[in-house]
Amino acid sequence: MSKKRILLVDDEPALTRMLRLNLEQTGRFEVREENRGTNALRAAREFQPDLIFLDVMMPDIGGDEVAEQLKQDPALSKIKYAFLTAIVTKRETGTGAAEISGETFLAKPVKRDELLAVVDELLDE
Amino acid sequence: MRPGNRDNREESVAVIGMNDAPTRPASIQAQTTAAQRRASEPAQPPCVLLVDDIPANLRVLYESLNGRDYRLLVANGGAQALEIAQRSRPDLMLLDIMMPDMDGFEVCRRLKQDAGTADVAVIFLSALDEAADKIHGLELGAVDYVTKPFHPEEVAARVEAHCKILRLERELGQRNRQLELVRDRILHSMVEAVVGLDAVGRVSFVNPAAERLFGLAAEHLLTRDLSDWEPTALRETAQRVLAERRELSLDEVALPRPDGSTLPVELRAAPIADAADTAGVVLVLRDLSERRRVEAKLHRTSDELHRSHRELQAAQMQLVQAAKLESVGRLAAGVAHEVKNPLAIVQLGLDYLEQVASFDDVSAQVLADMQQALSRADTVVRGLLDFSRERDLDLKPCAVNEAIQNSLQLVRHELTQRNIAVRTSLAEAVPERPFDIDKLQQVFLNLFMNAMHAMERDGTLSIRSSFTALAGNELGPHARDAGFLPSDRVIRVAIEDTGPGIDPEDLGRLFDPYFTTKRQGEGTGLGLSVTRNIVTLHGGSIDLENRPEGGARALLLFHPEFARAEALSRPSEATLRARTARLRSANR
Ligand SMILES: Nc1ncnc2c1ncn2[C@@H]1O[C@H](COP(=O)(O)OP(=O)(O)O)[C@@H](O)[C@H]1O
Ligand SMILES: [Mg+2]
Repeated sequence: MSKKRILLVDDEPALTRMLRLNLEQTGRFEVREENRGTNALRAAREFQPDLIFLDVMMPDIGGDEVAEQLKQDPALSKIKYAFLTAIVTKRETGTGAAEISGETFLAKPVKRDELLAVVDELLDE
Repeated sequence: MRPGNRDNREESVAVIGMNDAPTRPASIQAQTTAAQRRASEPAQPPCVLLVDDIPANLRVLYESLNGRDYRLLVANGGAQALEIAQRSRPDLMLLDIMMPDMDGFEVCRRLKQDAGTADVAVIFLSALDEAADKIHGLELGAVDYVTKPFHPEEVAARVEAHCKILRLERELGQRNRQLELVRDRILHSMVEAVVGLDAVGRVSFVNPAAERLFGLAAEHLLTRDLSDWEPTALRETAQRVLAERRELSLDEVALPRPDGSTLPVELRAAPIADAADTAGVVLVLRDLSERRRVEAKLHRTSDELHRSHRELQAAQMQLVQAAKLESVGRLAAGVAHEVKNPLAIVQLGLDYLEQVASFDDVSAQVLADMQQALSRADTVVRGLLDFSRERDLDLKPCAVNEAIQNSLQLVRHELTQRNIAVRTSLAEAVPERPFDIDKLQQVFLNLFMNAMHAMERDGTLSIRSSFTALAGNELGPHARDAGFLPSDRVIRVAIEDTGPGIDPEDLGRLFDPYFTTKRQGEGTGLGLSVTRNIVTLHGGSIDLENRPEGGARALLLFHPEFARAEALSRPSEATLRARTARLRSANR
């Protein structure tokens, strides 16, 4: 079974690195980091990920806008994505990811176990 | 004429029977009617009584006056003269002095003694030409003197002069009576009580208002003298005015009344001096109880105004407070957001290290402590965010109308002062649903104040609420974001003003925090952002637009149902949008 591909979009390089290290450490995922929101779409086209984690608050473009563009692009519209963001709290999401007005949200800061559980859940569907 | 017949009283008295010239009485008669026709003149021609014991003299007198506008009577002696005078009350008497039965002086004296005849003007006729007699006659009250032999013209001229004087006197008297009547009427209709005191302080007149004020009939009041007056201040004031002859007043005295009550009364006391220079005092008293009542009412009204002003101030404080909280919250949200990324990095870093390395007991303990510290930091930051976001709404079922009315109450006074009319049309059919009514009132207060500030002075603030199907053209940008759809059943509130409206360039930024077009100190620019925040928390929407007919319109929409759980645990899309918008604006 080939490794699932995960694209991480966040303007904070240290965060994408930590996420990548934790994911790769399992040996089950191939991970790519992208720290510029405006590059997210191109990265997705090139990398063809199975799952994208999107930050919402980024200086150049909002994660919500990136998600809109993904949905508009026929080549990318099938890709699963989740917002990994500080704009929601754990009180709102509970443990793990939560569906809020049709989108999947994961609250920062996320723990490794939590992250892996969410990834499995999203890729399982 | 038979003046010689002294016994024939009828003939000598009656003008008609007098003389053998039958035409004369008729002419007198005619003159009388002519005189009567002159409305302003006294109706009767002057009546002149001619008194002489010598018929020839009477005839001369008669002839000199006949044919003029007089009613002439004759008497041939003193006794007869008095009799006729009593019966016919002549205006003037030409009185011979030397008469056998009773001399003219005696006639005059008796005339003047009798009140009924005292005002008959007497002109003495006499051959006597001595100063002493003239003086005696004038002392007796005569008005003039004619010496014999007399010239008819002189007699006529004197009689005429005196008749004129009499007429003038009479007119003067009449005018005086009229003036007195007017004065009485004025005194009668005055609301102030007027009491006249004579020189020794006895009551000489009172008007009806005085009777009412003192609670006593005039006849009781008129028996009073100064020592009867209560209270002492009233008495002393009257005494001082009598003594010092100058005006004094008392702002308020408590006047005791027969029923045991007292009336607050204002007193003015002025000295009076009538023609005879007899001193007196006039007291003018005004009942102050009505004024006190009005003043008390004014006090109450001004108390109410003060209270409503305080309430408005309190409400404004609340708004400012809410705005401050909002800005603190905004700051907290910004900080929390900034802190969360480093927290996430540390969290995942630690997790990673725990995975890839093996640690001795001490190092493992270090890692565990760090994990715990992280979790504590996360809790703190989360608390900061919770505080800045959906602070708990105190939800209770209520209708928007109630909040509108309450908020309106707070600005009503200021609206009145600015001459801004309020037109409300609040539909009764608007259903109740859960609202935090305090917060909702803040919303309306913000909107009313903005409308008021926009209009400054004059204009109309109109507020309409309804429960209706949403028209597609009423979907503003926020309404769309908040998920309202055309033909949704909505609670709709429109707030319209007749101010200058909104600069189209500003339309997109009105709800941005700190956006204001008002001068420093007059606007915080937080009103609309707080307002939208509150509305959003209630699942509603608010849009502001310019009205085609001028002025601005705020349109608020709320769903008729609202689930609390939804509001608290899962943020709506609009809430998330609002959050990101806020964070972005804070970063800018
Ligand atoms: N009814 C209105 N008519 C015209 N302009 C308005 C009206 N309401 C709000 N505004 C504009 O929106 C701005 C922001 O309003 P707000 O957020 O309440 O802050 P503030 O009232 O403190 O300025 C105001 O400064 C004003 O320019
Ligand atoms: Mg305002």
